[in-house]
Amino acid sequence: MSLTDLMSMAKPNLESREKIFARLCGRNFLNCYLCIKCTSGCTALKLLELKPHEIEKLVNLGFVDELASSDIIWTCATCLKCFQRCPQKASPYHVIIALRNLAVEREAKVPEAYMKAVSQILEGGLAEQPQKVANKKMETCDREGLKLPKIRPPKESFQTVFLKALEEKPS
Amino acid sequence: MKLAVFWGCRILTSQYEYEMSVREVLPKFDVELVDLREMLCCGDPVKSINDFAADYLAARILALASLTGVKDLLIPCNRCHFVISEAKRLIENDEKTCGKIAALLREEDLKYDSNMRIWHVIDFLHDHVGLDRIKKAIVVPLKGLRLASHVGCQILRYSDLGRVDDAENPVKLDRLINVLGAESVDYAEKLDCCGAALTYSHVDSALSLAGSKLKALQGLAVDGLVVSCPDCGMMFDSKQKDAAATVGAKLNLPVLYYTQLLGLALNIEQDKLGLHLNQSPADQLLAKIPS
Repeated sequence: MSLTDLMSMAKPNLESREKIFARLCGRNFLNCYLCIKCTSGCTALKLLELKPHEIEKLVNLGFVDELASSDIIWTCATCLKCFQRCPQKASPYHVIIALRNLAVEREAKVPEAYMKAVSQILEGGLAEQPQKVANKKMETCDREGLKLPKIRPPKESFQTVFLKALEEKPS
Repeated sequence: MKLAVFWGCRILTSQYEYEMSVREVLPKFDVELVDLREMLCCGDPVKSINDFAADYLAARILALASLTGVKDLLIPCNRCHFVISEAKRLIENDEKTCGKIAALLREEDLKYDSNMRIWHVIDFLHDHVGLDRIKKAIVVPLKGLRLASHVGCQILRYSDLGRVDDAENPVKLDRLINVLGAESVDYAEKLDCCGAALTYSHVDSALSLAGSKLKALQGLAVDGLVVSCPDCGMMFDSKQKDAAATVGAKLNLPVLYYTQLLGLALNIEQDKLGLHLNQSPADQLLAKIPS
């Protein structure tokens, strides 16, 4: 007899669950006993309705595909309270990161800012471009004006190696 | 002593006052900062895209740091500190990841160095420099200032990784504030997150988190908020006006980096500490410092 989610008629996918396991690098995961400490302290709960214990349980049951294509995994503020407070040392944070990685691998919808950050790193090493800021007198200042050292970009060889690292998938 | 320093993106591209104040303050305690050969991302945003690639970036930074010949690495950003600490532990405990990363680093003649010791500004000042030495160096005691501290999430959690201070009851930043003559005030929202990570996907929620915390603090009539992470600085200082608009409150709370506050107590010129760059009304706090 297999499980069916009666709200969506979805069936568990144990192969996808294995993919999450592989990405957790041996971290605890099956131990969650739903005490809901993670959710009661979750930064993203009030505003964005993230419920870490649900994520943990859904992955446990094998409903991974639904989560990997859901927006909910992108609402985590990565404050790490869930893992810190888990009496079973399960880590909703690491499960969420693994789900995000799987979503990217499957080319699901990923918030644009993340992809932009990666392409900026490929181009110049940093995830952001240096900004001009205003001082008290409303004059604009940059690093040079503030006598801060010039930004030293990575060597050209970095781009090729970083691209290789990005193509790596956990086996 | 010599201290290699990895700044991360946020400090280098917008939170200049943090960089300026760290560069001014640490030499007063006989620290010589050594910049790395290259300036890179620690891998934080990449973690969500490909965890392995993030670990590779972190390992590359540790490899670059070892090229300086210095064995201590300062990482003033909470996120970078976390990402690099976590990658370091994975590489040292997981042979497979270690092998793959070593192979990638070899392509650029780089070598991972497991002996690098990682510091944040908070534990470096509290544990290495020490409160006594800081106390002796004070020129202008910051008497009468009531300040709130915000340590930020990622240098506190998760404890298994070995973090800078206690996860539920951090005290180091408060002690560092108190030793300057100011008073660090305890408050209920102390461990609340600034929301910076949500700026990637949910900007309004991020601003709402920052705004709610600032609003609560303003209710306590503190003279200012002290931070030690460029992401928290960005949310509470640079984006204070946006946060105010999002939560529908009038916010005017001075927000400073701890190193700026320390610099004031050491009588360093305000412009050298980047105090003219804070977007929150820092002047309100400066006016209360006895001269």
